[in-house]
Amino acid sequence: MRFAYTFLAWLPRALLVLVAIGLLNFFLIRLAPGDPATVLAGESGASDTRFVEEIRGRYGLDQPLWWQAATYLRNLATFDLGMSYRMQRDVADIITERVPATLLLTSTALTLAIIVGTLLGIRAARRAGTWQDTLIGAVAVLCYATPVFWAGLLLVLLFSVSLGLLPPFGMSGFIRKSGIAAALDVLHHLVLPVVTLALFYFAVYVRLSRASTLEVLGRDFVRSARAKGLSETRVLYGHVLRNSIVPVVTMAGLQIGQLLGGAVIVESVFAWPGIGRLAFDALIQRDYNLILGIFFVSSIMVVLANLLTDMVVRAIDPRVGRS
Amino acid sequence: MRLHDFPWRIGVGGALLGLFAVIAILAPVLAPYDPFAISGPPLVPPNSSYLFGTDMLGRDVLSGMIHGARVSLVVGLVSALCSAVIGITVGAIAGYFGGAVDRALVRFTEFFQVIPSFMFVILLVAILTPSLGSIVAAISLVIWPPVARLVRSEFMTLKTREFVEAARSLGLSHGAVIVREILPNAMPPVLAVGSLMVATAILTEASLSFLGLADPNMISWGYMIGSARSVFRQAWWLSIFPGLMLFLTVFAITLLSEGLGDKTNPNLRGNQPGL
Amino acid sequence: MEKLITLVIAAFVGMASLASAEEPRRGGALQSVLWPEPPGIMTGINTQSSALLPTTKIFESLLKYDFNLNPKPNLAESWEISPDGLKYTFKLRRNVRWHDGKPFTADDVVFTYADYSIEVHPRARQVFERTRVSKIDDYTVEFALKEPFAPLIRSFDLCCLIVPAHLYKGTDFRNNPNNLKPVGTGPFKFKEWKRGEYIHLVRNDNYWRDGLPYLDEIYYRFVPDAASRALALETGQMQLATQNDLELFDVNRLAKLGHLDMTTKGWEWGSPIVWIEMNLRKKPFNDKRFRQALMYALDRKYFRDVIFQGSANLATGPVHSGSPFYEPNVTPYVQDTAKAEALLDEMGLKRGADGKRTTIKLLGLPYGEVWNRAAEYTRQALRKVGIEVILEPSDAAGWAERTRNWDFEMTMYFLTTLGDPALGVSRTFLSDNQKQGVLFTNHAGYANPEVDALFNKAAISTSDDERKKLYSQVQKILVDDAAVLWLVELIWPTVYSKKLHNAVTDASGPNGSFAETWLAK
Repeated sequence: MRFAYTFLAWLPRALLVLVAIGLLNFFLIRLAPGDPATVLAGESGASDTRFVEEIRGRYGLDQPLWWQAATYLRNLATFDLGMSYRMQRDVADIITERVPATLLLTSTALTLAIIVGTLLGIRAARRAGTWQDTLIGAVAVLCYATPVFWAGLLLVLLFSVSLGLLPPFGMSGFIRKSGIAAALDVLHHLVLPVVTLALFYFAVYVRLSRASTLEVLGRDFVRSARAKGLSETRVLYGHVLRNSIVPVVTMAGLQIGQLLGGAVIVESVFAWPGIGRLAFDALIQRDYNLILGIFFVSSIMVVLANLLTDMVVRAIDPRVGRS
Repeated sequence: MRLHDFPWRIGVGGALLGLFAVIAILAPVLAPYDPFAISGPPLVPPNSSYLFGTDMLGRDVLSGMIHGARVSLVVGLVSALCSAVIGITVGAIAGYFGGAVDRALVRFTEFFQVIPSFMFVILLVAILTPSLGSIVAAISLVIWPPVARLVRSEFMTLKTREFVEAARSLGLSHGAVIVREILPNAMPPVLAVGSLMVATAILTEASLSFLGLADPNMISWGYMIGSARSVFRQAWWLSIFPGLMLFLTVFAITLLSEGLGDKTNPNLRGNQPGL
Repeated sequence: MEKLITLVIAAFVGMASLASAEEPRRGGALQSVLWPEPPGIMTGINTQSSALLPTTKIFESLLKYDFNLNPKPNLAESWEISPDGLKYTFKLRRNVRWHDGKPFTADDVVFTYADYSIEVHPRARQVFERTRVSKIDDYTVEFALKEPFAPLIRSFDLCCLIVPAHLYKGTDFRNNPNNLKPVGTGPFKFKEWKRGEYIHLVRNDNYWRDGLPYLDEIYYRFVPDAASRALALETGQMQLATQNDLELFDVNRLAKLGHLDMTTKGWEWGSPIVWIEMNLRKKPFNDKRFRQALMYALDRKYFRDVIFQGSANLATGPVHSGSPFYEPNVTPYVQDTAKAEALLDEMGLKRGADGKRTTIKLLGLPYGEVWNRAAEYTRQALRKVGIEVILEPSDAAGWAERTRNWDFEMTMYFLTTLGDPALGVSRTFLSDNQKQGVLFTNHAGYANPEVDALFNKAAISTSDDERKKLYSQVQKILVDDAAVLWLVELIWPTVYSKKLHNAVTDASGPNGSFAETWLAK
């Protein structure tokens, strides 16, 4: 019941946001110099006006702006994201093919960041004031300050070029394997990109869980639990997790947008076949429909993620009211 | 705040940052070569004449790094300033007036937080054609929400205070109250957030340049690293050293802002800098 | 005596092993790089360079061209050109079948040149609008012209591969379902296209050349990252990469490896030249001395050796050095900064207090790091003689838009000069080819009546000697005039496994049909 209410309250806001994004995208790209007809014509070394006009007509680029905008919004509603000029395929198809790779990358990175960050944060809090605390804090700041693309390049230099342990790019080898071998191959390729992406975010969770643990450590029930002779560790972990799960989940939801941005870079560095890399390639080629589609889909993902975290938070702690 | 870690962060961070600022200002004097000039043979590894080697055209990497500091710091400071102006304006109006105005402005702010910000930035920069101006503008348009939220909550707290009532009863207009009375009191936390925004701006510019969306008439750290990707395996020094400077700059700013006490600021949890 | 016997045996063994080494092996699957994944592989419609590689295995042309651009029979068995140059008669091969079994006849040729290519391919249009194609009988075709056009015999190449009339006549060419499963006469048939992964071609068992092709199948694999592509060749997982598939640095490195070879042949038809075009409508570009000063300021050897890493030749003028019409005796323009400065001083562009004479803008080609470096170097070289250059960034669409609309001061790019000056060279300099809004025409606004006359006369001349004389003259004028700043002739390397034989055998290079290509074990 709670969920239904949350969903219904969320829906109109979300729709408004999506429409606004749709319109924003549409007009932004039209401001750009150059247009797809020219790019396509230029590619084939052609210099024929008739040819360029043919392309324009075929893609409706000769219609008035408002017509194009209205059509675009109407199509969005039916998930018709148009056709990619460059790749001659439906944008929705292209994106659907590439979304799983990005989801794999970002969700694994986020999970890794949360788990490692939380564990280290707890450790730092329990050993507050000691060298371990300082060290963990220093490592966290270091990871926080390291530019994503530089971290990626460094890791490749170390683990691929020097040590030859991990593959430097792609999601799998050239010749496709099948079954378990394929899964292992992907996993092998997943290591470096995930670590690169996770590096920055893990610092945030270290900080969060450290603060959270400190708070828990100071509470009465911990002392009374100790007095009762319960294992401090079990009590601690239990309460810390309960205490920090809400901020962690909230934070994760807020970070999805940034994660997708980080994915653009990581996917470019590692030639990971997700929508981040696709976005950049599409941008270079002025593939309007494709860029708009990716931007829209990413926004949907963020909006959905926010809804999900909202629901999870409510489920865990019904006392949490609307912000 | 813990006593023993408070001063050293500001100290170390501030000192490093000050060093980079000096480097940036004195760049033409400090750099051993003109960073754009082809001063030596291409792809020379670090040696005595070229401390950090040369790039694929034969340009000195060290000189490029020194001049790159200018770009990074300028972009960082100007973007942070511009976005602070936007954020303060939005937040102040929302927090002070409340009601429908507040609700509308909150939606507006949320919109900018929902859209994947880095994708939006690359979109904007590509459309406006990469240049110092377009990069600063694009970054500013994206990083202001945390400031707005912070200022809004500060204003909501502060506007109920007595001195505000007193000012209003003296006949001061809303504008004057906002700017002269409340804003100065709201500034301290804004400064802490602001310093992190500088870091964000610097990282964003570096990422843009790395991906190729840079002003080709400037030398930027990100651009140096990005353009060296094709010779990445052979000429590792082209990627490592400019990246190191970038890292140290951001590190310094982070230390500094942590030292300034932002770590207990709840508003910060909403939006971390970087990507 | 013993020594003699040993020698004779050794000789026999040697000859035998040589003979067996040359014996083509039937069978095997060729793994070739292909990047980027083309939107389609229908000849004429998809003309991107990466589309051409698979297309040319499926479809064939009337003629082929050897390394000297001499025409050789292909689907046309023989041909005759009338003495007045107005009639071209081709006799077609008789035992050719389409991949779906139907016979290849003159109907297909007529359809291709009168309907199909003219409709879909702009370059084909320009050439074949001059002709009227007609069928004389099932295996004879005639091209009739109003005035002679010598380059016609060299135009039967990649632009107009023959398509099956029985599948395309009367249909909407661009949306014809056969575009997704092309049917041609070539040595390889289309089997499968797994988007994002590969295109798979298999041997055409009914190919008109007996016993060919040797290869069982070809896989064109899409690998997005240049480093991955290099790695693929290094590890032997793939056997062929060409043109822009590899970074130049990797090419040099790979060529040195024991199991790989590199050739730069096979682009004789394309003959790309890199240059900087100046907008002659703007000052100071309209002054010949300024243009010449720019030429003297640049060190073209640096472009060749450092920027293009040796994968280039110096370009001396508008015609490629591989062309039979190339004229080497033109103004040489060796780097001479003193001369450049003298010319600028003479013009009245003196250095100001800050050392600058003037500021100009360069629109660079946004096709990758090599081009960025080229633009950056240009800025540095010109700065040395007091000319400040502002680099204008752009993307592929933006560059095309600005160049074709004359919105530039200097623009850098490369152009394929296409085997014959009348096809690829004159379009940049003819004063009546200034078509604003159309790319690869006379963007600069160059107008020299003498040059116009020479080009026009040479286009309709029927004598190769006369044409050669005329083109020599025009090259001398254009180079002296510094109409354009010629930089280098691009060399596109093809890197291939030593096990792969006959990959590059004529002017089409890796875009050949691969009928005679074979893979050793």
